[in-house]
Amino acid sequence: MTVSPAFAPDPTIVVDGVSKWFGQKVAVSDLSCSFGPGLTGLLGPNGAGKTTLLRMLCGLLTPSDGTVSVLGQDPRRTPSVYRELALVPEEDAVYGYQTARQFARYAAVLSGHGPADADDAIDAVALGDAADRPISGFSKGMRQRAKVAAALVGRPRVLVLDEPLNGTDPVQRLRLIELFRELADAGHTVVVSSHVLAEVERMAARVLAIVDGKLAAAGDVTAIRRAMIDIPYRVRITLDRPRELATRLMADEAVLGVEVEEGTLHVETSDLAGLGAAVPRLASDAGIRLTGFEPEDESLESVFRYLVRRR
Amino acid sequence: MKAFAAVTRATVRQLLGGRRTVLLGLLALVPAVVALFLVADTGEAVAMRRFHDAPFALTFILVLPVVSLVLGAAALGDERRDATITVLVLRPHARETLVGAKLLGAWLAAMAIVGTGAAAAGAALGIGAGRWDVLAPLVLAVAVSGLGYVSAFLLLGYLTQRAVLIGLIYVFVWENALSFAVDGLATVSLFRLGITGYAALVDGAPRLLADVLGTLEPGVAGAVAKAAVIAVVAVLVGARWLRRRDIA
Repeated sequence: MTVSPAFAPDPTIVVDGVSKWFGQKVAVSDLSCSFGPGLTGLLGPNGAGKTTLLRMLCGLLTPSDGTVSVLGQDPRRTPSVYRELALVPEEDAVYGYQTARQFARYAAVLSGHGPADADDAIDAVALGDAADRPISGFSKGMRQRAKVAAALVGRPRVLVLDEPLNGTDPVQRLRLIELFRELADAGHTVVVSSHVLAEVERMAARVLAIVDGKLAAAGDVTAIRRAMIDIPYRVRITLDRPRELATRLMADEAVLGVEVEEGTLHVETSDLAGLGAAVPRLASDAGIRLTGFEPEDESLESVFRYLVRRR
Repeated sequence: MKAFAAVTRATVRQLLGGRRTVLLGLLALVPAVVALFLVADTGEAVAMRRFHDAPFALTFILVLPVVSLVLGAAALGDERRDATITVLVLRPHARETLVGAKLLGAWLAAMAIVGTGAAAAGAALGIGAGRWDVLAPLVLAVAVSGLGYVSAFLLLGYLTQRAVLIGLIYVFVWENALSFAVDGLATVSLFRLGITGYAALVDGAPRLLADVLGTLEPGVAGAVAKAAVIAVVAVLVGARWLRRRDIA
């Protein structure tokens, strides 16, 4: 029996057939997956439904359909689960008038922990030097770290982070990634969302890719990468005689499709390098003047959309 | 208990920070300033009449509802709009604890402003006419009505970003117009809650406040009990919303 890569062994968070819609808009559609100890990256373009899913995991949103359980409990009905579950939201959910230390200590007292736990969390995010300054004067990256510190107080078993690296500089980013890895290695369930593949790649061995509210791919980063290699490339070629070059290109096995426009060809190919070598040669043979050759549709979003179509 | 106290303290600090407090504080002192001018160098009877016609009325139909509205609506409303509500709700506590702490914090903040203003107005009457017996009942009355207002506006602030506008319409149309014009509506008027308590404690007040009281019977216990019931209902309703509604 094979286990789908969308499901973790020994799960601490179980998402079962969850959908969420806001009026006519479907944000998450019939999604099933689970998260367990270790670091899982939740990858997807902006607007994919990542935040909605994470907010359902934390009990801030009620699923329109399906169920979510964290440590065997429904977080909407069982506040005690928040002893072991913390969220770092995407928004700047901080009190500007408080210092970072006051903010972490406020979080500590609300979670039933002491000031020493708050100070530990401040140290863990390397905010010690700025800990007694008001958050209102913090940069975006420092506010992110203050939020992480507040969530980290007491080291909850399940930590959910929504785009926690936004606004952080490379050094801060590295430090936070190390921290998330340490927590994961220590057996905590760490779920980190991001719309940047490279970012997730550096953090998480296991990735769930979500697009248009659906699970597009799941598994280790290598598998996601491999899936992406299969994507046909689209290239825009600008030239003076597009129909002539189109005819010649159609003989190439790697060319999957050609669209002709006034002065432009849109070519879909499985071999970008091969096309790059063939086009100048064919153009030269036929005396066609090329003025442009550029890949289009290279965005991460298009990669995700391809993954969804492929399912 | 520690969490309840922490949320209450933080709420007071949040609501009393910034320019808002200065403006509301100045508004709250208006009745005291008016009282200083109106009751100076007059007899006790004239001073009492003037005090209840102007500073007292200003306190209950303008200062108390406006301050309670601004602070009550901000208590949960600002947390929701600033997204800091997640800091509060993702905690191992009953939602009632959270809403109760926010309500208490908002009420204490409102009382710090309106109570101080009312005490200053009462002191002005004491200095001008020697009626120091008014001061404590006046502050109590403000506290009782304030609890009713803050409870109602706390919920309104959570529900809508237009809470202040809707609240002002409620204050000026319902409380200051309809509740005077329609018999029976006085019983559900929040500012009259405190006034019924006040009238039971101050000699001569029922006669001076006859137009406001209408058929309402003066009584402290009833006023306090009604305000407490409103507060409890607000806490239960607010907690239910936090449990059932999406927190986006």
